[in-house]
Amino acid sequence: MLHVELVLQGLVNGSMYAVIAVGLTLVYGLLRILHVAHAGLFTLGAYITVLITNATGSLPLAVAVSAVTVGVAGMLVYRLLYEPLLDRPPYVALIASIGLFICMEEGYRIVFGPYGNSFDTMQLTERINIGPIGMAAADAAMLVGAVVLLTGLGLLMKRTRFGVAWRATVTDPAMARAFGIDTVKVRYVNFFIASALAAAAGALVAVLNNLVEPTMGSVPSYKSLAIIVLGGLGNVGGTLAAALLLGVIEAYGTIYAGSFLDRDAIAFVFLIAVLMVRPQGLFATGRP
Amino acid sequence: MTTLLAVEDVLVRFGGIVALGGVSFSLAKGELLGLIGPNGAGKTTMLHTVIGVVKPTEGRILVADRDVTRLAPDARARLGVALTHQIVRPFRGLSVLDNVTLAAGFAKTTHLARAIVSVSRTAERARARELLALVGIADYADAAPGVLPLGALKRLEVARALAISPAVLLLDEPLAGLNSVEAARLAATLADLNASGITMILIEHNLAKVAEICPRLVVLDNGRKIADGPTAAVLADPQVIAAYMGQDTSGREPGREAAHAGG
Amino acid sequence: MIGAYEITLVAVVSINLMLALGLNLITGFCGQVSLGHAAFFGTGAYAAALAAGGLSLPVVLVLAGLVACALGLLVGVASLRVREDFLAITTMGVGFVFLGFVRKQGWLGAEMGLTDIPDHGLGDIGFVGLCLALVAAMAALSWHIKRSWMGFGFAAVADDERTARTLGINAAAYKLAAFVIGTFLAGVAGAVYAYFTRFIIPSAFGFTVSISILTMVIVGGVGSIWGVVAACVVLTLLPEFSRVINDYKLLLYGALIVLTMRFAPGGLAGLVRSLVARRSTGGAP
Repeated sequence: MLHVELVLQGLVNGSMYAVIAVGLTLVYGLLRILHVAHAGLFTLGAYITVLITNATGSLPLAVAVSAVTVGVAGMLVYRLLYEPLLDRPPYVALIASIGLFICMEEGYRIVFGPYGNSFDTMQLTERINIGPIGMAAADAAMLVGAVVLLTGLGLLMKRTRFGVAWRATVTDPAMARAFGIDTVKVRYVNFFIASALAAAAGALVAVLNNLVEPTMGSVPSYKSLAIIVLGGLGNVGGTLAAALLLGVIEAYGTIYAGSFLDRDAIAFVFLIAVLMVRPQGLFATGRP
Repeated sequence: MTTLLAVEDVLVRFGGIVALGGVSFSLAKGELLGLIGPNGAGKTTMLHTVIGVVKPTEGRILVADRDVTRLAPDARARLGVALTHQIVRPFRGLSVLDNVTLAAGFAKTTHLARAIVSVSRTAERARARELLALVGIADYADAAPGVLPLGALKRLEVARALAISPAVLLLDEPLAGLNSVEAARLAATLADLNASGITMILIEHNLAKVAEICPRLVVLDNGRKIADGPTAAVLADPQVIAAYMGQDTSGREPGREAAHAGG
Repeated sequence: MIGAYEITLVAVVSINLMLALGLNLITGFCGQVSLGHAAFFGTGAYAAALAAGGLSLPVVLVLAGLVACALGLLVGVASLRVREDFLAITTMGVGFVFLGFVRKQGWLGAEMGLTDIPDHGLGDIGFVGLCLALVAAMAALSWHIKRSWMGFGFAAVADDERTARTLGINAAAYKLAAFVIGTFLAGVAGAVYAYFTRFIIPSAFGFTVSISILTMVIVGGVGSIWGVVAACVVLTLLPEFSRVINDYKLLLYGALIVLTMRFAPGGLAGLVRSLVARRSTGGAP
């Protein structure tokens, strides 16, 4: 039974990582920017969800408002910070992004207070039993939420005009423009979608922990960077696989390696080990 | 004549694309070889393989009978192989003079221990100024590369490559982007340098120019060598003419070059 | 007369200066972005804390530097395989792994850290002198490297590694040299820190420290020694002198990073350079 629980716990965490990291990898795929501040948007999404739920009593409404607001915030980050830096070496945007992330965390601390907020009434407290396996409804919501969001994203990418435009822009922006694709719009929509996903992940984590804090984005932020590198930067499928794999490895690592290594360091041990063997990432697609 | 550079069955694959499909040729000391071929023939990849920026999937590169296939570009540079880039790559943070000075100090930068104890740049600066004058851009010495016109940057590439005192100089379209006076002057300079003993490979699109400077040509088409020999004979080769005529020359410099090759 | 407060200021500024000068070698001179400088600082501090009981101060300083630069060499070798943003993530990872490791090691005091580190035995004036002497020595070393051919090579590697290699510069060796020297300085800084506080805990070497030091290097102007020194002194002292600034220190650092990257990529040094250039109308820079 231990293994079932470990794997399940790993998948729950892994699906949280996946929803955050997939947004990061979308941004990287398009612009080659390591968007650390993404996790700041994740935190913002969590706060908005809690505050609006408490004000209106409706969690779904709160999640919707949060996704749209944060999506717009993401577009603003692109417009104000990244767009002017696109021609500079990649680390410039990375460092600027870290700066913005620090500002966001401090901003939340100042605005919302350092001790965190909770739902007035705890959400999804039931337990669900599927055969012999029992899990908290919040855990189940995380798993189901991740599957729904990522499937939706997959359909969007495969079936819609935006998906075609996105892929064309990633492959060859100049060619995409020649075919009449508005690559600037693609970037904005990209940021909207990635940020809305971050907000949804934030909402799910808020429900899971019944707590939102200014620094709740730190650990997912740095970890999801590790994940997208492992997944082969810009590779969506690889990112998902790496996220779930990391979730499970962490769950096991906490049990079997917890005595000599902190849980949050496992991702990076894994990352460094992988990069030494495959500098292009675990699931890289032969990017030159 | 001794063989200075030998390329043996070099095959380069990028992902699924074969950029060079088993190319061989050799170069005697003092030769000036023209490397020509239609767009996408693999000329630049060939030079990149010789300097070591691109690693061949198969085949060997020998410099003065030494197998350098596994050596990094810096080690090949120390053996006397120098490259000028088709798409110019100056160090944008360094002045024009410093770009060349750095290369001229290769004896000092080669060994870290020597690099950290050496401060004086006087001799290297003097050498760099000579080279800038040689290629005709001495006036730009103190400017930042960013403000230079393309023609001057092309010549900076040549000056910088010469600064490492090369035995083999790989020139990737050094004359492109220069006006006809500048091009004629740089071509004459290159011919003089060749006469003074520097072996060269020259990629150049203007066939009239190539025919004028290079006694021998190697022609690549689609990653394969289709001709190798004295210039006049190669330019009269029907296969070479076909390779050039088959290519849509519109938009490139004029089609009259192909006509020249044919006539 | 100098009191405890002044000694604290001198020590804190000096330690940050040593860290910033070391990082400036790696990131400023050689262009290798490191987001894990605190790990080398911490390595030096822990090494010094363990060694200080049995060895004399100069030996401990050198030893701490060597242990840190052994780790630096390791990270440097690893860094050769990855580039630019990958390198940034890898070095950030090194920082997290260092913390994650130290937190779980009983022999390093785990979360509680190491206490009762012996006194340096130099007295207050002596310690201030040591701090200043070390900073001066490191600044002089930086200055020498910058004008030497090694610094010239660093500049080329930072600018365009591939082209530097085609000109005979062994970029890998230069990067390793930058890591080794830069992390040695961080290790010495760690030893000074250990002697100064006499107890060390893992959280003193976290990601925030790495970012703070990086802020100083960036705001000062990557590669510029005086710019980095000026930014480091100001950014370290401002929070000490103003309670409000201290409360919002991280916000200030974050905002400075964003504004510098966005509007003044050359940092303080770049701003001054362009001002001077504008004044001397058309003259040589």
